[in-house]
Amino acid sequence: MSELFAVKYSFLIPLLPLLGAIVAGFAGAKLLKGRSHWPIWIGVGISAILSISLLAGMLGLWHTGQNLSVAKDVYTWIDTGNFVAKAGFWFDPLTAIMLCVVTGIGFLITVFAAGYMKGENGYFRFFAYLGLFIFSMTCLVMGSNFIMLYLGWEGVGLCSYLLIGYYYEKPAAREAAKKAFLVNRIGDFGFGLGIMLIWKTFHTVSYFGQGVGTNTGVFELAQMGHLTAYQLTALKVIPFFLLLGAVGKSAQFPLYVWLPDAMEGPTPVSALIHAATMVTAGVYMISRCGVLFFGNQPAMMTVACIGAFTALLAATIALRQTDLKKVFAYSTISQLGFMFVGVGVLAPVAGVFHLVTHAFFKALLFLSSGVVMHAMSGELDMRKMSGLKKVLPITNLLMLVGCAALAGFPFLSGFFSKDAIVGAAFARSNILGGVMLFTALLTAYYTFRLYFQVFQGPLIVPPAPAGDHGGHGGHDDAHGQDHKHNHEPMLMIAPLIVLAIGAVLAGYINWPSRHASFGDFLGQSPSLKQGYDVAKASYGEIDGSALGQRITGAEAEAPFTPIMGISAFVAIAGIFLAYELHLKNRAKAEDLAQSAQPFTAIVQGKFFVDEIYQGLIVEPLRTLGSKLDGFDKFIDVMVALVGNILQIFGYLLKLTMQRGYLQGYAAAMLLGIVAILLFFFAT
Amino acid sequence: MFAIGIIGFLTRRNLIVMFLCTELMFQGVGISLIAFSRYNHDLAGQAFVIFVLVIAAAEAALALGLIVLLFRTKNTLDADAWREMKG
Amino acid sequence: MPRGRGTACNKHVSLGNMVISRSLLASIASAPDEGVAAHISPLVVLVLCIVAGIGTMMLLPGKREIAFRRIGGGLLAAAGLLFPALIARSGVWHLDAAGVYFWIFSAIAIVAAVRVVTHPRPVYSALYFVLTIFASAGLFILMYAEFMAAALVIIYAGAILITYVFVIMLASSASVPEGKPAVAALGECDAVSREPFIACCVGFALMGVLLFVIFDKSQNLRPAAGEPTVDLSNPETIQGTAQSVGNYLFTNQMVSLELAGVILTVAMVGAIVIARRRVMIGQEDAFEAGAVVSPMLTPQDDSPSSIPVYGSTNPRQKAYPEK
Repeated sequence: MSELFAVKYSFLIPLLPLLGAIVAGFAGAKLLKGRSHWPIWIGVGISAILSISLLAGMLGLWHTGQNLSVAKDVYTWIDTGNFVAKAGFWFDPLTAIMLCVVTGIGFLITVFAAGYMKGENGYFRFFAYLGLFIFSMTCLVMGSNFIMLYLGWEGVGLCSYLLIGYYYEKPAAREAAKKAFLVNRIGDFGFGLGIMLIWKTFHTVSYFGQGVGTNTGVFELAQMGHLTAYQLTALKVIPFFLLLGAVGKSAQFPLYVWLPDAMEGPTPVSALIHAATMVTAGVYMISRCGVLFFGNQPAMMTVACIGAFTALLAATIALRQTDLKKVFAYSTISQLGFMFVGVGVLAPVAGVFHLVTHAFFKALLFLSSGVVMHAMSGELDMRKMSGLKKVLPITNLLMLVGCAALAGFPFLSGFFSKDAIVGAAFARSNILGGVMLFTALLTAYYTFRLYFQVFQGPLIVPPAPAGDHGGHGGHDDAHGQDHKHNHEPMLMIAPLIVLAIGAVLAGYINWPSRHASFGDFLGQSPSLKQGYDVAKASYGEIDGSALGQRITGAEAEAPFTPIMGISAFVAIAGIFLAYELHLKNRAKAEDLAQSAQPFTAIVQGKFFVDEIYQGLIVEPLRTLGSKLDGFDKFIDVMVALVGNILQIFGYLLKLTMQRGYLQGYAAAMLLGIVAILLFFFAT
Repeated sequence: MFAIGIIGFLTRRNLIVMFLCTELMFQGVGISLIAFSRYNHDLAGQAFVIFVLVIAAAEAALALGLIVLLFRTKNTLDADAWREMKG
Repeated sequence: MPRGRGTACNKHVSLGNMVISRSLLASIASAPDEGVAAHISPLVVLVLCIVAGIGTMMLLPGKREIAFRRIGGGLLAAAGLLFPALIARSGVWHLDAAGVYFWIFSAIAIVAAVRVVTHPRPVYSALYFVLTIFASAGLFILMYAEFMAAALVIIYAGAILITYVFVIMLASSASVPEGKPAVAALGECDAVSREPFIACCVGFALMGVLLFVIFDKSQNLRPAAGEPTVDLSNPETIQGTAQSVGNYLFTNQMVSLELAGVILTVAMVGAIVIARRRVMIGQEDAFEAGAVVSPMLTPQDDSPSSIPVYGSTNPRQKAYPEK
């Protein structure tokens, strides 16, 4: 496997976007200006090609039965005494899939962004940050040890901050960026503690050390038979720390509050970072650390419960949201909850599968709303627009595809992946399955609520708001029905078409066939293989197919299960409900909401979580900070005093010693000489 | 004589007399040198005095020139007039 | 000026040591001798020194009565006379011909030096300085350095002091205020001395330290060799003659000699440069013709202190134009 071209040149995958970012960042302001996207296109494009070639190579090798995992070290990054961390990569099916998602969808989004951000002031800045983000994300998924993972983790957090705060002149954007970074930081703190605990316990931070089977990496050391009591206790606790990081990064309860506010950033950012890639880092991490998680029953239960609760919570909040992007933001939180449930019920295949399909259709949805936003001159309120299918015909179709995929319409990608999760949930616990099913119903409802409101019905186009969303003054004429302006330039539509095709077809990669489905491929990863062993040791006999481990010789599963039927029914029911309330008779929705009033108000207020955090945590900390600031100023005065004393001393010296009399100086000299002579000859 | 020269240099305010006291100091040094030369039976002391004399002459010429210049600007020989380096 | 530290304790040592070392040196030049300090009580020396110091202080020019200053002068003279008397009484004084002359010359030199420093009028200071030079020349001759004595008189008294007197004449005349009798006119700069107490302390302290060093460290010194053979017929063996000094200079101190010549040249050039006058703005043609004009002072009248302009053909042209 290491002779694969992509593996040999794998260092280019993170390097080229980074170089592109550097070029765009430093040369973009004066030199490249409107062409700043080229370095990023080239960098991310080549990375995408390499990633796909890696995947293709792996698929080719798979059928020859070879071992599909290899480590490739570039150089030793940190080498201090006991602690050694190499800058190295680990390639296995999980990595390959994640890489393709990140770089592929990343490339499509950079193409879209070139059209979307055209004419912006900080054009080069945007692309530089995007390149930096792709670099960090690839480091995250390709890293061969926890330190590389943490590097990428922090890097994507930083880029998220930079990109959310892209419109830094807007106060709301600045606040949102800070909020995202700080809430992420809480998670990262837990994650860091987890990594430190791992090192303390196993004295290494590498996943697999010298390779699978050598028992030198964390994952294999954790499975060894003769673990000390300290190590066993640590193993019980480590997953919870790591989980804290995942909760922060993947916006689960209680650290999800940054994601809706992160919609202040430009739409391509929302699509890339907060839908397709960054927020999925948590799911990736849990799958990668399967060995640490899958045997730990309390941890798994926590993961699943957090996931389910978040999914339900976010779905209910999304019911009453009126902002185009906020609906999708809460939808993302909800779908991430689904993924967490997937890995929590020992079905990492389902979780990662949903990750892949979700990347496609969520990116599609966000980018389509970007087109809508562009056309509506920055207006985002759903209630102010309607019937846009006449103005944006192609976008209408694309949005329909995306919404249907999200809702789980039969035979689209979302249907297959969501059903996999729901099925796995039911296999573990009926309550869990029921909750997920209900959430799926809500998902379908609010998704099509948005679609029917915005694209169908009578044509209502909002007037251009006064400079709300900065920078799109280029084509800021009043958009009327008779205006022949093209709202769907090809640069923006072409990637969306690709994404739509993916959203439709991506579900079939997991089509169960004899040992050749997505799940089987993913199951070749040592993380999942060894996770399966650990899970077996802990839970007893379990069905390995959810972990990609099929017992050789077993029949391929039937493609359609009863659960699938129920999911399909649920999805269609949701769509029908949305149709009733938002297309046929729009007033009915509002009446229904008003009649359920106290509950509606709570949901509308997002369950007041933000306010609770503000009062309980933020304000007390602020007060503490201002008190400490006074103490800090006192220290400043003390330090300045030292300098002031010296200054006064010099001033006194000046007053006494430098009077301007030549003879005074001579006398002083003589006194000095006399003193020295006395000193020398008296002693 | 050296010490008397020092006292005069520190005390007097007339620029010319100040330099005269400097010359007094030279005198004292010269006497000392000759005495040591005699004591050690080495002519180096006398040679040194010759050079001291040379230097004194050169320095006197230049110092007097400078005094003349200074006098031209302030029209006084008072050393107290030149306190611009104060502070 | 910084307030001086009290170095009174050194004063007694200083004056006493000065005289002692003089006698020591002179007597050592003639014959080795033992230390003399043991024979004189330190307390007496201390008192003498303090008196001498006070006398000097009182003698320095200041806004004081003439009588006051005369009293100071008297004190100093008394201290100066008492000290040799003490030494004579202690009996360690080898009275030979050279010794008498040594004391006479030393006394003249020191008295003249004190008058140089304390006299209010600059011309008198210069003249007393000439007296000092003669006395020093006498001391030189006593120490067998005839050539140096002659050189001293010629160079110092003949050249440097003349220059000084000239400059005093030039500079002082312009500072005489109008309308007052020249006799009573004394520039304020000459009348008041500055901080005499400190200066005396410092001076005597320095002297004391220097002499203490000489006195203390020279206990064990012996002359380098015995008395050199002096063959009066051969001038080269006599140390101190022009021939021997010249011989020594031109063989052993060749480089220094050349350097001395260079220094003199540089000093000459420097003096010319310093005394040059500046060109006035607008007189470039005059500058090109070589006449430089100084804008500094305007003479009120046709007094001889107006220095003729260098390079100008008009002998009456003033250095600085009338304003």
